[in-house]
Amino acid sequence: MRRDVRFAAAARDDGIRKIAKITWQAGLIGLVSSGLIALAFDMHATAQSSGGSGGGSISVPGQPPGQGQGTGTVTSGGS
Amino acid sequence: MTADADTGTFRVFGTTAVLLVTEPGSLSLARSIADSELAAVDQACSRFRPDSELSILNDSDGSPTPVSQLFGQLIEAALRAARLTSGTVDPTCGLALAAIGYDRDFADVKAGGDGPGDAAGGAGQVSAAGRVPGWQTVRFDPGRRLVQLVDGAQLDLGATAKAWAADRCARIISERTGCGVLVSLGGDIAVAGPAPAGGWQVRVTDDHAAGPEAPGQTVTISSGGLATSSTTVRSWHSGGQRMHHIIDPATGQPASSCWRTVSVAAGNCVDANTASTAAIIHGEAALPWLRDAGLPARLVARDGTVQTTAGWPTSVRAGGRQ
Repeated sequence: MRRDVRFAAAARDDGIRKIAKITWQAGLIGLVSSGLIALAFDMHATAQSSGGSGGGSISVPGQPPGQGQGTGTVTSGGS
Repeated sequence: MTADADTGTFRVFGTTAVLLVTEPGSLSLARSIADSELAAVDQACSRFRPDSELSILNDSDGSPTPVSQLFGQLIEAALRAARLTSGTVDPTCGLALAAIGYDRDFADVKAGGDGPGDAAGGAGQVSAAGRVPGWQTVRFDPGRRLVQLVDGAQLDLGATAKAWAADRCARIISERTGCGVLVSLGGDIAVAGPAPAGGWQVRVTDDHAAGPEAPGQTVTISSGGLATSSTTVRSWHSGGQRMHHIIDPATGQPASSCWRTVSVAAGNCVDANTASTAAIIHGEAALPWLRDAGLPARLVARDGTVQTTAGWPTSVRAGGRQ
């Protein structure tokens, strides 16, 4: 094979390796970034839902009321 | 009251407040905190105090108005309630309430004295308020703490402020004293900290002031909030018609509901009161709405028939004892 052809092939292979490396790096950065964004969204959503009255829906009680006995300590009614 | 809780009862916001703590020695500090917090809330959002932030905002003619951090939080809570109920619980019902005669302290409304409400509606007449402007007309910039009311909107935070204040008081008192706390503001109940053994015993009934012997049901809660909305208590007559304070935003008139009283338990008191108010306005649609939301509730129909949702203890007729 002529020397200039071998040089051109080597240069082409070298270029392909560089492009592949850049592509892998870009993909890795994208993966990490998307992970961080997802984590941030998750933390934001958790903060919203655990903030008592700050969530995106009416909060349900930890457990429903139980059956009480007698007349009760305090009264809940219209006011 | 239970043997392991100490209690204090006082008047605030034109209604009865009850404060319970699991450590008797903490009651004095708890009361002091409650007095301070409730005074601040009253200064922020009383509709009947000309010097309140709410009155100043309602008189602003649509100009952007700076608000305190506390008032901003109260407005945010009201807008959140509107958003979560798709506008069923709407804070822009200030004019509608005034139009039906509720334009001054309720004791004066009940007494039937002369007031702007009578004048606005004409002698013996009730103004046809129509649909309220809607919560979307409230422009709130939390960063700059500026509020602007457009389209002539007037705010009333009655559906959320009292419950929000109960949540705030319970949380702060529990943090400061380290004990279990129950705060009831006119029957809007918030609890925080460790509950007494067996939970807080709450009597749910039509009227919060009726006392523990009133017909109803006794339930227990250990966390979050429990609130009751009713058309039977804060009611009056105007223009020959019976009025109450729960406004249907679609009509600007008192909600015509198949329920007379609805109690809801939720993760906090303001959410419980948001849901109980919305349920009154929803009428028959309240049952599937509450079930879908997973909210335990007790709904009393006009004839006393009781329905429950989402794990609320089985009940009987409202007139019965349980």
